[in-house]
Amino acid sequence: MAIDPASAIKSVAPVEVSHRVRARPTWTLLTGPYALFLLVLLIVPFANVAVFSVHPYSPTHVALSGLTLDNYAKLFDLYYLRLFGRTARLGLITTVICVLLGYPLAYWLARARPRLQRLGLFLLIMPLMVSAVIRIFGWIVILGRKGLVNQALFALGLEPVKFLYTETAVVIGLVNILLPFMVLPLMAAIERIPPSLEEAARNLGANWLQMFRRTIMPLSLPGLISGCLLVFAESISAFVTPALIGNPRERMAGQQIYDMVLVSFNWPGASSLALTLVLLTLLLLFAALFATRRAGRLERGA
Amino acid sequence: MSRGTPRLLLPFVGLVYIGLLAPLVVVIAVSFGPSVAFEFPPSGLTLRWFAAFFASQSFVTSFFRISLVIGLIAAALATLLGTAGAVGLVRFRFFGREALETFFLAPLLVPQILLGAALYLFYARLAMPASIWTLLCGHVVICTPFVIRSVTAGLVGMDPRLEEAAMSLGATRLQAFFKVTLPLLRSSLLSGAIFAFIISFSDINLALFLSGPQSTSLPVQIFSQIQWQGDPTIAAASTLQILIIGLLILIVQRIFRLRLMV
Repeated sequence: MAIDPASAIKSVAPVEVSHRVRARPTWTLLTGPYALFLLVLLIVPFANVAVFSVHPYSPTHVALSGLTLDNYAKLFDLYYLRLFGRTARLGLITTVICVLLGYPLAYWLARARPRLQRLGLFLLIMPLMVSAVIRIFGWIVILGRKGLVNQALFALGLEPVKFLYTETAVVIGLVNILLPFMVLPLMAAIERIPPSLEEAARNLGANWLQMFRRTIMPLSLPGLISGCLLVFAESISAFVTPALIGNPRERMAGQQIYDMVLVSFNWPGASSLALTLVLLTLLLLFAALFATRRAGRLERGA
Repeated sequence: MSRGTPRLLLPFVGLVYIGLLAPLVVVIAVSFGPSVAFEFPPSGLTLRWFAAFFASQSFVTSFFRISLVIGLIAAALATLLGTAGAVGLVRFRFFGREALETFFLAPLLVPQILLGAALYLFYARLAMPASIWTLLCGHVVICTPFVIRSVTAGLVGMDPRLEEAAMSLGATRLQAFFKVTLPLLRSSLLSGAIFAFIISFSDINLALFLSGPQSTSLPVQIFSQIQWQGDPTIAAASTLQILIIGLLILIVQRIFRLRLMV
């Protein structure tokens, strides 16, 4: 019988007992400050939003007391239904394009040699951390009337195309910003698939595409699901992209909230909209969390 | 790479990377170009927009007095709160530990634009005017989860027996932590702090709501300059941010595992 040094130490040292006795005050001391901080600056602000959302709104008074569900009823107005429809549609298009671009990239990264993978990850994560404003600024230069794309079209003898301030520009910007959120979970899922499975599929006569469809895709499904939910959740609350390169008359939900809070001071209306969006996002993200957790369990054979 | 990988995979990946990096490359190129219009490719090479950046009171203030200061303080506070929280979460077993962990990472789940709006309305309710402090508090909320994540990863990868051995040799729990655990956590701690700084330094969504006229952060400054059709000074400011962040990410990749951070 092999002696596990861990159990040897544990059985001799009185450490276990003493720290169990003192455990309670210590962990509260350690986790308490941040818990308190989050309570004051995350929970209470959203509770405040919930309270605002049932206040009546008047253009002439900032905060009225009273109780009403009007702000939620207004979300069913045609204007808001169209806003939600547009936001969801752009989110879906963005998600689909991210899947199409992200899957091959994730596969390549997952199977790349370590050195190349490091470079690939740097080039994926570095732009992600640069402020979104800067990346959108870059797209303004590229897509502008005299931008790179229109110069190329002109050189080919084609008419210039108006890209800026259209939905096309918004989708380009969103895909550019959110692609890493698709690639990273997909890559993690593909890395867990043993390459021998690919070999087996190939040896049994599958061509690469068949192998990808029948082996990689089903086994990386949890990564795909969590990537899609992440990208969709992020895109429906986008603000900077539609505000800078979208059509100002066709807003997305994030812009609506920004305007209601800072421009029209319709705080109750902004609150009902914000709370609805937060709950929707949390629902999507917990679904993503559940998808990856379940996959982890399946892998361990439970 | 397994045999028979389609020949198109590599060119496709290359194109995706070009699309991903194109806006950054263009911004950097514009910042060195001589034209007042945002011209790409640039027709020459000049540093005049960097000179204009350092001559501009509003850009210098928002870069050095606001963004850099808030980023450093937010990173320090996030590192303190986050390290303590991560140690509490990893080294102790108590009822509701997993729920608390989810709660600690919750700021990552809430869309930032909505958190910004919620904090704005919260400060409005309290009649607190926008200042460097209101923005700082918001940034600590979104930065700390990154420290918790990296320190948790560092702690999980570390053998708890080292700490126990120190204690069985007579060190108190606190001594064991500061003499054994903390030095071993150095790289994950530093990575967490760096990421906390980056998150604060590049944040726009919270800053749009929380920075006032006296506390305009660099991204907000760039945002409003773009809306007011500014000159390539915007590009120079952007290039400086890209360089700083690129350098910091390079450091994280050297000392820690970059993938654990995002």
